[in-house]
Amino acid sequence: MSDESRSPIQGPVVEEQIEFTLVELSRACGADEEQITALIVEGVIEPIAPGGAAAQPGRIDLDAARSQWRFSGSALRRARLAMRLARDLEVNPPGVALALDLIDEIEALRARLHRLGR
Amino acid sequence: MKFRDYYEILGVDRNATQDEIKRAYRKLARKYHPDVSKEPDAEARFKEIGEAHEVLRDPEKRAAYDRMGQHWRAGQDFQPPPDWDAGFEFSGTGFDTDAGDYSDFFEALFGSRMRQAQARQRRAKSMPRQGQDHHAKVLIDLEDAYRGGRRTVRLATPTIGADGHLVVQERELDVTIPRGIRAGQHLRLAGQGAPGIAGGPPGDLYLEIEFREHPRYRVDGRDVYVDLPLAPWEAALGATVPVRTPEGSVELTVPPGSQAGRKLRLRGKGIPSQPPGDLYAVVSIVLPPTTTEAQKEAWRAAAKAFEFDPRAGR
Repeated sequence: MSDESRSPIQGPVVEEQIEFTLVELSRACGADEEQITALIVEGVIEPIAPGGAAAQPGRIDLDAARSQWRFSGSALRRARLAMRLARDLEVNPPGVALALDLIDEIEALRARLHRLGR
Repeated sequence: MKFRDYYEILGVDRNATQDEIKRAYRKLARKYHPDVSKEPDAEARFKEIGEAHEVLRDPEKRAAYDRMGQHWRAGQDFQPPPDWDAGFEFSGTGFDTDAGDYSDFFEALFGSRMRQAQARQRRAKSMPRQGQDHHAKVLIDLEDAYRGGRRTVRLATPTIGADGHLVVQERELDVTIPRGIRAGQHLRLAGQGAPGIAGGPPGDLYLEIEFREHPRYRVDGRDVYVDLPLAPWEAALGATVPVRTPEGSVELTVPPGSQAGRKLRLRGKGIPSQPPGDLYAVVSIVLPPTTTEAQKEAWRAAAKAFEFDPRAGR
Protein backbone atom coordinates (compact mmCIF):
# COMPACT_ATOMS: atom_id res chain seq x y z
CA MET A 1 0.00 0.00 0.00
CA SER A 2 1.29 3.41 -0.77
CA ASP A 3 1.61 5.71 2.15
CA GLU A 4 1.27 9.39 1.37
CA SER A 5 3.36 10.44 4.35
CA ARG A 6 6.35 8.35 3.31
CA SER A 7 8.76 10.27 1.18
CA PRO A 8 9.30 8.76 -2.26
CA ILE A 9 12.51 6.97 -3.19
CA GLN A 10 14.92 9.03 -5.21
CA GLY A 11 17.54 7.75 -7.53
CA PRO A 12 19.95 9.28 -10.00
CA VAL A 13 19.26 9.22 -13.74
CA VAL A 14 21.82 6.68 -14.90
CA GLU A 15 22.41 8.24 -18.33
CA GLU A 16 23.14 11.66 -16.88
CA GLN A 17 24.51 11.24 -13.40
CA ILE A 18 26.28 7.89 -13.27
CA GLU A 19 29.67 6.65 -14.33
CA PHE A 20 30.17 2.92 -13.98
CA THR A 21 33.30 1.02 -13.14
CA LEU A 22 33.78 -2.29 -14.93
CA VAL A 23 32.60 -4.14 -11.82
CA GLU A 24 29.47 -2.01 -11.48
CA LEU A 25 28.55 -2.27 -15.15
CA SER A 26 29.00 -6.05 -15.07
CA ARG A 27 26.80 -6.34 -11.99
CA ALA A 28 24.12 -4.12 -13.50
CA CYS A 29 24.04 -6.34 -16.60
CA GLY A 30 24.18 -9.62 -14.71
CA ALA A 31 27.33 -10.41 -16.67
CA ASP A 32 30.86 -11.19 -15.64
CA GLU A 33 33.75 -8.86 -16.32
CA GLU A 34 35.17 -11.03 -19.07
CA GLN A 35 31.92 -10.83 -21.04
CA ILE A 36 31.87 -7.04 -20.76
CA THR A 37 35.53 -6.86 -21.73
CA ALA A 38 34.75 -8.91 -24.85
CA LEU A 39 32.18 -6.26 -25.82
CA ILE A 40 34.79 -3.56 -25.41
CA VAL A 41 37.26 -5.41 -27.62
CA GLU A 42 34.57 -5.50 -30.34
CA GLY A 43 33.86 -1.79 -29.89
CA VAL A 44 30.26 -2.41 -28.79
CA ILE A 45 30.83 -0.21 -25.76
CA GLU A 46 33.75 2.05 -25.01
CA PRO A 47 35.27 3.29 -21.80
CA ILE A 48 35.34 7.04 -21.44
CA ALA A 49 38.50 8.97 -20.83
CA PRO A 50 38.75 10.99 -17.62
CA GLY A 51 36.89 14.20 -18.32
CA GLY A 52 34.07 12.47 -20.13
CA ALA A 53 35.17 12.21 -23.77
CA ALA A 54 35.04 8.75 -25.34
CA ALA A 55 38.43 7.13 -25.33
CA GLN A 56 39.90 6.36 -28.70
CA PRO A 57 39.24 2.67 -29.22
CA GLY A 58 42.71 2.03 -30.61
CA ARG A 59 44.25 3.36 -27.45
CA ILE A 60 42.42 1.29 -24.86
CA ASP A 61 44.95 -0.73 -22.96
CA LEU A 62 43.10 -3.97 -22.31
CA ASP A 63 45.55 -5.35 -19.79
CA ALA A 64 46.55 -2.44 -17.65
CA ALA A 65 44.29 -0.56 -15.33
CA ARG A 66 40.93 -2.21 -15.95
CA SER A 67 39.97 -0.88 -12.57
CA GLN A 68 40.55 2.60 -14.00
CA TRP A 69 37.99 2.15 -16.76
CA ARG A 70 34.86 4.25 -16.51
CA PHE A 71 31.72 3.92 -18.60
CA SER A 72 29.05 6.49 -19.24
CA GLY A 73 25.56 5.68 -17.98
CA SER A 74 24.36 5.17 -21.55
CA ALA A 75 26.59 2.07 -21.77
CA LEU A 76 24.08 0.24 -19.55
CA ARG A 77 21.32 -0.05 -22.14
CA ARG A 78 23.73 -1.11 -24.85
CA ALA A 79 25.58 -3.62 -22.71
CA ARG A 80 22.33 -5.21 -21.49
CA LEU A 81 21.00 -5.49 -25.02
CA ALA A 82 24.29 -7.06 -26.08
CA MET A 83 24.18 -9.56 -23.21
CA ARG A 84 20.60 -10.54 -24.00
CA LEU A 85 21.45 -11.17 -27.65
CA ALA A 86 24.55 -13.14 -26.72
CA ARG A 87 22.66 -15.32 -24.25
CA ASP A 88 19.36 -15.83 -26.04
CA LEU A 89 20.61 -16.20 -29.60
CA GLU A 90 24.00 -17.70 -28.78
CA VAL A 91 25.71 -15.02 -30.83
CA ASN A 92 29.43 -14.42 -30.37
CA PRO A 93 30.80 -10.91 -29.65
CA PRO A 94 31.49 -9.97 -33.31
CA GLY A 95 27.95 -11.10 -34.17
CA VAL A 96 26.55 -9.05 -31.31
CA ALA A 97 28.48 -6.02 -32.54
CA LEU A 98 27.02 -6.42 -36.01
CA ALA A 99 23.50 -6.94 -34.66
CA LEU A 100 23.75 -3.81 -32.52
CA ASP A 101 24.90 -1.70 -35.45
CA LEU A 102 21.91 -2.93 -37.47
CA ILE A 103 19.52 -2.38 -34.56
CA ASP A 104 20.82 1.20 -34.21
CA GLU A 105 20.18 1.78 -37.88
CA ILE A 106 16.66 0.34 -37.73
CA GLU A 107 15.87 2.45 -34.67
CA ALA A 108 17.04 5.60 -36.44
CA LEU A 109 14.83 4.79 -39.43
CA ARG A 110 11.85 3.99 -37.22
CA ALA A 111 12.33 7.25 -35.31
CA ARG A 112 12.27 9.11 -38.61
CA LEU A 113 9.01 7.47 -39.65
CA HIS A 114 7.59 8.14 -36.21
CA ARG A 115 8.45 11.85 -36.37
CA LEU A 116 6.56 12.07 -39.64
CA GLY A 117 3.59 10.47 -37.92
CA ARG A 118 3.46 7.27 -39.94
CA MET B 1 -2.89 -26.06 -16.14
CA LYS B 2 -2.62 -26.89 -19.83
CA PHE B 3 -0.27 -29.46 -21.26
CA ARG B 4 2.44 -27.89 -23.39
CA ASP B 5 3.72 -29.65 -26.45
CA TYR B 6 7.33 -28.50 -26.62
CA TYR B 7 7.90 -30.27 -29.93
CA GLU B 8 4.99 -28.46 -31.50
CA ILE B 9 6.25 -25.13 -30.15
CA LEU B 10 9.62 -25.62 -31.83
CA GLY B 11 8.00 -27.16 -34.90
CA VAL B 12 10.10 -30.32 -34.78
CA ASP B 13 9.35 -34.00 -34.90
CA ARG B 14 9.27 -36.02 -31.68
CA ASN B 15 12.32 -37.95 -32.81
CA ALA B 16 14.26 -34.88 -33.92
CA THR B 17 18.00 -34.98 -33.25
CA GLN B 18 19.57 -32.57 -30.76
CA ASP B 19 21.04 -30.68 -33.74
CA GLU B 20 17.63 -30.31 -35.34
CA ILE B 21 16.23 -29.00 -32.08
CA LYS B 22 19.04 -26.49 -31.78
CA ARG B 23 18.56 -25.30 -35.35
CA ALA B 24 14.80 -24.92 -34.91
CA TYR B 25 15.30 -23.05 -31.65
CA ARG B 26 17.85 -20.63 -33.08
CA LYS B 27 15.74 -19.83 -36.09
CA LEU B 28 12.65 -19.12 -33.97
CA ALA B 29 14.67 -17.25 -31.34
CA ARG B 30 16.00 -14.87 -33.99
CA LYS B 31 12.52 -14.35 -35.34
CA TYR B 32 10.86 -13.65 -32.00
CA HIS B 33 13.60 -12.09 -29.89
CA PRO B 34 11.89 -9.10 -28.26
CA ASP B 35 14.85 -6.82 -28.93
CA VAL B 36 14.77 -7.56 -32.63
CA SER B 37 11.26 -8.68 -33.50
CA LYS B 38 8.30 -6.47 -34.14
CA GLU B 39 5.83 -9.35 -34.08
CA PRO B 40 3.05 -8.26 -31.71
CA ASP B 41 3.33 -11.28 -29.41
CA ALA B 42 7.12 -11.58 -29.67
CA GLU B 43 7.82 -11.57 -25.96
CA ALA B 44 5.31 -14.30 -25.09
CA ARG B 45 6.39 -16.42 -28.04
CA PHE B 46 10.05 -15.99 -27.19
CA LYS B 47 9.49 -17.20 -23.63
CA GLU B 48 7.59 -20.21 -24.89
CA ILE B 49 10.34 -21.08 -27.37
CA GLY B 50 13.01 -20.64 -24.70
CA GLU B 51 11.15 -22.92 -22.32
CA ALA B 52 10.69 -25.61 -24.99
CA HIS B 53 14.39 -25.43 -25.80
CA GLU B 54 15.32 -25.54 -22.11
CA VAL B 55 13.59 -28.92 -21.81
CA LEU B 56 14.41 -30.48 -25.17
CA ARG B 57 18.08 -29.47 -25.37
CA ASP B 58 18.81 -31.32 -22.14
CA PRO B 59 18.77 -35.11 -22.71
CA GLU B 60 17.73 -35.78 -19.09
CA LYS B 61 14.78 -33.45 -19.11
CA ARG B 62 13.83 -34.45 -22.61
CA ALA B 63 13.72 -38.15 -21.77
CA ALA B 64 11.56 -37.55 -18.70
CA TYR B 65 9.25 -35.25 -20.67
CA ASP B 66 8.99 -37.74 -23.52
CA ARG B 67 7.98 -40.60 -21.29
CA MET B 68 5.23 -38.56 -19.73
CA GLY B 69 4.21 -36.57 -22.74
CA GLN B 70 3.43 -39.15 -25.38
CA HIS B 71 -0.27 -39.43 -24.49
CA TRP B 72 -0.96 -35.74 -24.09
CA ARG B 73 -1.99 -33.09 -26.57
CA ALA B 74 -1.21 -29.39 -26.36
CA GLY B 75 -3.86 -27.46 -24.46
CA GLN B 76 -5.34 -30.44 -22.59
CA ASP B 77 -5.91 -29.96 -18.90
CA PHE B 78 -2.95 -31.45 -17.17
CA GLN B 79 -1.71 -32.46 -13.75
CA PRO B 80 1.65 -34.19 -13.55
CA PRO B 81 1.24 -37.76 -12.32
CA PRO B 82 2.99 -38.41 -9.00
CA ASP B 83 6.52 -39.69 -9.46
CA TRP B 84 6.30 -38.84 -13.14
CA ASP B 85 10.04 -38.47 -13.28
CA ALA B 86 10.93 -41.47 -11.13
CA GLY B 87 13.95 -43.29 -12.41
CA PHE B 88 15.48 -40.32 -14.18
CA GLU B 89 18.71 -38.80 -13.09
CA PHE B 90 18.89 -35.04 -13.05
CA SER B 91 22.35 -33.66 -12.78
CA GLY B 92 20.90 -30.34 -11.72
CA THR B 93 22.65 -28.20 -14.25
CA GLY B 94 21.40 -26.10 -17.08
CA PHE B 95 18.75 -24.01 -15.36
CA ASP B 96 20.15 -20.75 -16.41
CA THR B 97 17.16 -18.44 -16.46
CA ASP B 98 15.56 -16.60 -13.59
CA ALA B 99 12.63 -18.15 -11.79
CA GLY B 100 9.43 -16.59 -13.02
CA ASP B 101 10.32 -16.83 -16.68
CA TYR B 102 8.69 -20.22 -16.97
CA SER B 103 5.09 -21.34 -17.39
CA ASP B 104 3.06 -23.06 -14.66
CA PHE B 105 3.45 -26.23 -16.68
CA PHE B 106 7.25 -26.08 -16.61
CA GLU B 107 7.12 -25.05 -12.97
CA ALA B 108 5.03 -28.12 -12.06
CA LEU B 109 7.42 -30.48 -13.84
CA PHE B 110 10.84 -29.05 -13.20
CA GLY B 111 10.40 -26.28 -10.63
CA SER B 112 11.46 -28.18 -7.52
CA ARG B 113 14.44 -29.73 -9.34
CA MET B 114 15.52 -26.32 -10.49
CA ARG B 115 15.38 -24.88 -7.02
CA GLN B 116 17.25 -27.78 -5.46
CA ALA B 117 20.00 -27.16 -7.97
CA GLN B 118 20.02 -23.45 -7.23
CA ALA B 119 20.08 -24.03 -3.48
CA ARG B 120 23.07 -26.34 -3.93
CA GLN B 121 24.84 -23.65 -5.89
CA ARG B 122 24.04 -21.11 -3.21
CA ARG B 123 25.33 -23.32 -0.41
CA ALA B 124 28.48 -23.87 -2.38
CA LYS B 125 29.12 -20.14 -2.36
CA SER B 126 28.10 -18.97 1.06
CA MET B 127 30.51 -16.05 1.18
CA PRO B 128 28.70 -12.80 1.90
CA ARG B 129 27.82 -11.32 -1.45
CA GLN B 130 25.81 -8.40 -2.69
CA GLY B 131 22.35 -9.33 -4.00
CA GLN B 132 21.71 -9.18 -7.73
CA ASP B 133 20.73 -5.97 -9.43
CA HIS B 134 17.17 -6.06 -10.71
CA HIS B 135 15.63 -4.35 -13.70
CA ALA B 136 12.07 -3.27 -14.37
CA LYS B 137 10.29 -1.07 -16.87
CA VAL B 138 8.05 1.77 -15.78
CA LEU B 139 5.41 3.35 -17.96
CA ILE B 140 4.87 7.04 -17.31
CA ASP B 141 2.96 9.74 -19.14
CA LEU B 142 4.79 12.33 -21.19
CA GLU B 143 3.29 14.94 -18.88
CA ASP B 144 5.15 13.34 -15.94
CA ALA B 145 8.43 14.07 -17.70
CA TYR B 146 7.41 17.73 -18.04
CA ARG B 147 6.32 18.14 -14.45
CA GLY B 148 8.36 15.60 -12.52
CA GLY B 149 6.78 14.28 -9.37
CA ARG B 150 6.09 11.02 -7.65
CA ARG B 151 4.75 7.83 -9.07
CA THR B 152 3.71 4.61 -7.45
CA VAL B 153 5.39 1.72 -9.21
CA ARG B 154 4.06 -1.81 -8.84
CA LEU B 155 6.63 -4.54 -9.14
CA ALA B 156 6.16 -8.29 -9.23
CA THR B 157 9.24 -10.10 -7.99
CA PRO B 158 9.35 -13.90 -8.20
CA THR B 159 11.05 -15.27 -5.12
CA ILE B 160 11.39 -18.63 -3.45
CA GLY B 161 9.35 -18.98 -0.27
CA ALA B 162 10.47 -20.79 2.89
CA ASP B 163 8.78 -24.00 1.69
CA GLY B 164 10.72 -23.94 -1.55
CA HIS B 165 7.78 -22.90 -3.71
CA LEU B 166 7.74 -20.06 -6.13
CA VAL B 167 5.96 -16.99 -4.80
CA VAL B 168 5.40 -13.84 -6.77
CA GLN B 169 5.75 -10.97 -4.38
CA GLU B 170 4.00 -7.76 -5.28
CA ARG B 171 5.40 -4.60 -3.90
CA GLU B 172 4.81 -0.94 -4.42
CA LEU B 173 7.46 1.69 -4.48
CA ASP B 174 6.91 5.42 -4.38
CA VAL B 175 9.45 6.81 -6.78
CA THR B 176 10.44 10.35 -7.59
CA ILE B 177 10.28 10.96 -11.33
CA PRO B 178 12.83 13.67 -12.11
CA ARG B 179 11.65 16.47 -14.36
CA GLY B 180 13.11 16.18 -17.84
CA ILE B 181 13.54 12.39 -17.86
CA ARG B 182 13.34 10.72 -21.28
CA ALA B 183 12.23 7.36 -22.58
CA GLY B 184 15.01 4.79 -22.44
CA GLN B 185 16.73 6.40 -19.48
CA HIS B 186 17.14 4.51 -16.23
CA LEU B 187 16.73 5.43 -12.59
CA ARG B 188 18.97 3.63 -10.15
CA LEU B 189 17.40 2.91 -6.79
CA ALA B 190 20.14 1.87 -4.41
CA GLY B 191 19.45 -1.21 -2.28
CA GLN B 192 16.08 -2.02 -3.89
CA GLY B 193 17.32 -5.06 -5.81
CA ALA B 194 17.65 -8.65 -4.59
CA PRO B 195 18.49 -9.20 -0.91
CA GLY B 196 22.13 -9.83 -0.13
CA ILE B 197 23.48 -13.35 0.25
CA ALA B 198 24.90 -14.51 3.57
CA GLY B 199 24.74 -11.05 5.07
CA GLY B 200 25.93 -9.14 2.01
CA PRO B 201 24.30 -5.85 0.99
CA PRO B 202 21.21 -5.87 -1.27
CA GLY B 203 21.51 -5.18 -4.99
CA ASP B 204 20.19 -2.13 -6.81
CA LEU B 205 17.01 -1.72 -8.82
CA TYR B 206 17.18 -0.13 -12.24
CA LEU B 207 13.94 1.31 -13.56
CA GLU B 208 13.80 1.86 -17.29
CA ILE B 209 11.50 4.71 -18.23
CA GLU B 210 9.01 4.29 -21.05
CA PHE B 211 6.30 6.68 -22.15
CA ARG B 212 2.77 5.53 -22.58
CA GLU B 213 1.60 5.97 -26.17
CA HIS B 214 0.08 9.46 -26.33
CA PRO B 215 -2.95 10.25 -28.49
CA ARG B 216 -1.57 13.67 -29.42
CA TYR B 217 2.20 13.74 -29.07
CA ARG B 218 5.03 11.76 -30.58
CA VAL B 219 8.35 11.76 -28.78
CA ASP B 220 11.83 11.47 -30.24
CA GLY B 221 14.51 11.71 -27.59
CA ARG B 222 13.99 15.11 -26.03
CA ASP B 223 11.93 16.49 -28.93
CA VAL B 224 8.16 16.29 -29.11
CA TYR B 225 6.04 16.35 -32.27
CA VAL B 226 2.41 17.35 -32.56
CA ASP B 227 0.16 17.58 -35.61
CA LEU B 228 -1.05 21.05 -36.49
CA PRO B 229 -4.13 20.96 -38.71
CA LEU B 230 -4.62 24.15 -40.72
CA ALA B 231 -7.36 25.36 -43.04
CA PRO B 232 -6.04 25.93 -46.58
CA TRP B 233 -6.30 29.71 -46.20
CA GLU B 234 -4.45 29.66 -42.86
CA ALA B 235 -1.62 27.72 -44.49
CA ALA B 236 -1.63 30.05 -47.50
CA LEU B 237 -1.94 33.40 -45.80
CA GLY B 238 -0.33 32.71 -42.46
CA ALA B 239 -2.12 32.82 -39.13
CA THR B 240 -1.66 32.86 -35.41
CA VAL B 241 -3.15 29.69 -33.96
CA PRO B 242 -3.18 28.00 -30.56
CA VAL B 243 -1.04 24.86 -30.22
CA ARG B 244 -1.49 22.48 -27.33
CA THR B 245 1.70 21.46 -25.59
CA PRO B 246 2.07 19.17 -22.57
CA GLU B 247 2.53 22.34 -20.52
CA GLY B 248 -0.56 24.09 -21.83
CA SER B 249 -1.57 26.03 -24.89
CA VAL B 250 0.75 28.48 -26.67
CA GLU B 251 0.15 30.84 -29.59
CA LEU B 252 2.08 29.93 -32.72
CA THR B 253 2.63 32.16 -35.73
CA VAL B 254 2.26 30.18 -38.94
CA PRO B 255 4.18 31.82 -41.78
CA PRO B 256 2.36 32.37 -45.09
CA GLY B 257 2.79 29.56 -47.62
CA SER B 258 3.22 26.73 -45.10
CA GLN B 259 2.99 23.44 -46.97
CA ALA B 260 1.77 20.22 -45.41
CA GLY B 261 4.62 18.50 -43.59
CA ARG B 262 6.36 21.76 -42.69
CA LYS B 263 7.72 21.59 -39.17
CA LEU B 264 7.32 24.72 -37.08
CA ARG B 265 9.67 24.73 -34.13
CA LEU B 266 8.81 25.92 -30.67
CA ARG B 267 12.26 26.17 -29.20
CA GLY B 268 12.69 24.77 -25.72
CA LYS B 269 9.11 23.47 -25.50
CA GLY B 270 10.14 19.82 -25.73
CA ILE B 271 11.06 17.70 -22.73
CA PRO B 272 12.64 20.01 -20.12
CA SER B 273 15.93 18.15 -19.81
CA GLN B 274 19.35 19.81 -19.83
CA PRO B 275 19.37 21.18 -22.50
CA PRO B 276 15.62 21.18 -23.13
CA GLY B 277 14.21 19.67 -26.31
CA ASP B 278 12.06 21.43 -28.90
CA LEU B 279 8.43 20.98 -29.78
CA TYR B 280 7.62 20.67 -33.46
CA ALA B 281 4.18 21.41 -34.85
CA VAL B 282 3.85 19.46 -38.09
CA VAL B 283 1.53 21.19 -40.55
CA SER B 284 -1.31 19.24 -42.12
CA ILE B 285 -3.88 20.86 -44.32
CA VAL B 286 -7.51 19.98 -43.79
CA LEU B 287 -10.18 20.68 -46.37
CA PRO B 288 -13.41 22.05 -44.96
CA PRO B 289 -16.55 20.11 -45.83
CA THR B 290 -17.86 21.71 -48.99
CA THR B 291 -21.66 21.39 -49.26
CA THR B 292 -23.42 24.62 -50.17
CA GLU B 293 -23.40 26.15 -53.62
CA ALA B 294 -21.67 29.28 -52.25
CA GLN B 295 -18.86 27.13 -50.83
CA LYS B 296 -18.38 25.33 -54.12
CA GLU B 297 -18.36 28.66 -55.91
CA ALA B 298 -15.59 29.87 -53.62
CA TRP B 299 -13.37 26.96 -54.71
CA ARG B 300 -14.19 27.55 -58.36
CA ALA B 301 -13.18 31.16 -57.94
CA ALA B 302 -9.92 29.98 -56.33
CA ALA B 303 -9.30 27.63 -59.25
CA LYS B 304 -9.75 30.51 -61.68
CA ALA B 305 -7.55 32.85 -59.69
CA PHE B 306 -4.63 30.40 -59.49
CA GLU B 307 -4.57 28.28 -62.65
CA PHE B 308 -2.46 25.93 -60.57
CA ASP B 309 -1.37 22.42 -61.57
CA PRO B 310 0.14 20.68 -58.52
CA ARG B 311 1.36 17.85 -60.79
CA ALA B 312 3.29 20.09 -63.17
CA GLY B 313 6.91 19.08 -63.37
CA ARG B 314 6.40 15.66 -61.79
